Amino acid sequence: MPDPLLAVRNVRAGYGEAVVLDDVSFEVAAGQSLAVLGRNGVGKSTLLLTIMGFTNLVRGSLVWRGEEIGHLAPHQRPRRGLGWVAQEREIFASLSVEENLTVVSRPGRWNLAAVFELFPRLAERRQVRGHHLSGGEQQMLAIARTLMTNPSLLLLDEPLEGLAPIIVEELTAAIRHMPGDSTLILVEQHADIALALTEHVIVLERGRIVHRGRSRDTLRDPALLDRYLGLTLSDSPHASG
Amino acid sequence: MLGSFVGVLFDGFAYGMLLFLLSVGLSVTLGMMNFVNLAHCSFAMLGGYVTVTLMDRLGWPFFATLPVAFLAAAAASAALERALFRPLYRASDLDQCLLTIGIVFVSVAGAAYVYGTVQQPVQLPDYLRGAVTFGSLRFPVYRLFLIGAALVVTVVLVAALEHTRFGARVRAAVDNQRMARGLGIDVDGVFAVTFALGSGLAGLGGALAIEIVGLDPSFAFTYLIYVIIVVSVGGLASIGGSFVAATLLGISDMAGKYYVPQLGAFLIYLVMVGLLMWRPTGLFGRR
Repeated sequence: MPDPLLAVRNVRAGYGEAVVLDDVSFEVAAGQSLAVLGRNGVGKSTLLLTIMGFTNLVRGSLVWRGEEIGHLAPHQRPRRGLGWVAQEREIFASLSVEENLTVVSRPGRWNLAAVFELFPRLAERRQVRGHHLSGGEQQMLAIARTLMTNPSLLLLDEPLEGLAPIIVEELTAAIRHMPGDSTLILVEQHADIALALTEHVIVLERGRIVHRGRSRDTLRDPALLDRYLGLTLSDSPHASG
Repeated sequence: MLGSFVGVLFDGFAYGMLLFLLSVGLSVTLGMMNFVNLAHCSFAMLGGYVTVTLMDRLGWPFFATLPVAFLAAAAASAALERALFRPLYRASDLDQCLLTIGIVFVSVAGAAYVYGTVQQPVQLPDYLRGAVTFGSLRFPVYRLFLIGAALVVTVVLVAALEHTRFGARVRAAVDNQRMARGLGIDVDGVFAVTFALGSGLAGLGGALAIEIVGLDPSFAFTYLIYVIIVVSVGGLASIGGSFVAATLLGISDMAGKYYVPQLGAFLIYLVMVGLLMWRPTGLFGRR
C-alpha cells in the first residue's frame, strides 16, 4: 500500500452537539478512487464536509500528505489540494461561467481550455451568469470550477442527483475521462454508477462504516447492496445490466 | 420656474451623490457579511475631522487631505474590524447593533471632547468656490466637483468589482460564503479589505460633506439614518442600487424642502416607505 494521500482516522464529527459520524477510518492513496455509499441521512455528505472543515470534528484526525489538517480553516484546505464539489452545486449565481471558473483558479494542468474541452457546453455559455444555467449545466460548472483549483483529491458529493438521464451520461463520461492519476472520493445515491466509476467502496450506516471492499466485488454482491442500500440493481434507472 | 426646478434637481443630485459616497461601503459590507455596522458614519465623521485637522492646524491643502481622510477611516475600521467586529459576525443582529451603536456613542463623545460641539469650518480653495452660470442657471462649483467625484468613485468601484479578480472574489463571497471558503477563498480576508475600503470611502465622503452639511459630533448619528435609508432602498451589496437610491432620496429630500416645506425633511421617509412597500428587498436587492 503506497503512502496515503488522505488518511481519515477514528473520526467522530457532527454539527454542534449532534454527532453524525463515529469512528470512521479509511485511507485514499494517490490515483485511487473511492465510492461512499449509504442510504439517505447516514452521514455521506457530512463525511465530505468534515474533510473540508465545515463540521465540528470532535475526535480523530485528518492527515493529508502526512500533515494533520483537522485544525485548518476550510479555505486553507483547497490550497493544500483538496477539491470539493458540493451536493447543491452552489455555483456563484451572479458570476458568469468564466468568472466562476477563474475566480478560484490555481496553476496546474486544469485551465479554461482544459475544462472547456471536458465540458464543451460550458464554453458555449461562458459569458452567461450562473443563475441562468440549467441544473445540468450548473453541475458541470460546479465540477469544472473545482477542477480549476487543480486539486490532488476531488470530493464529489452526489454529482448526478436530480439530473436528466442524458446529463447523467454526459457527466459520467466526463468523470470517467478524467486523467488516470486523478484521485476521487465519490458520494452517490446511484450505487451502480458509483461502483462502476471507482475502485474501492465504503458503505456507511448510521455514521459508521459497515462495509469496505473493492467496487467491482461489491457490484457483484446483490445481497450486500440490498442489505445496506435497499437497492436491487435491476430497479435502478441507471443499471447498465 | 424652470430655473428653480433645474436648481432643485441639481442640488438634489449633488446631495444624493454625497449620500452615495457615505453609504456605498455599508451596502457592500452589509450585503456581504450580514454585519449590521451602525458605526459606519463614525468613520465618515473621522474622515471629516481628519480633513479639518490637517487643513486648519497643519495648513494642508484641501485635496491633499482627502486621501489621508480615506486612509485614516480605512485604518481605523480595519483595527476595529479585527478587534471588535469579527467576533460578532455570527452574533445576532441585536448584539451587532448594540456593539456598533456603542461605538457611535464613543466616537461622538470623543469628537466632542477633542473638537467641542461647534461646527467645524473648512476653507475651500478658491477654484472650488463660486458658481458656473448657464444663462439664468447657476451651478455651484463645489457641487459640480462633488458630483464628479462621486461619478469617478462609482466608475472605479464598478470596474474594480466587475473586472478584477478581487472584485470577483467579493461577489463570490456575497453569493455563497461557504462555497467560496470551500474553494479556497479567504472570505474573512476579503471582507476585512472590503470593510476597510468601504469605511475609507465613508471617510472620503465625510471629508467632502463638510462644505455641504457641516461637521459636528452629531454627524455620526444624523447621517446614520440617511445611510441606512439609502442601503435599504438600494438593496444590499448593490453599487448601482445605492447610486439610484441615493439619487432618488437626495432629489426627493431637496424637492420636499423646496416645494412642500410643510413636510420638510419628512418627504424622504415617505419615499422610503413607498419604495420599500413596492420592493421590500430594495430596488436592486438580492434577498
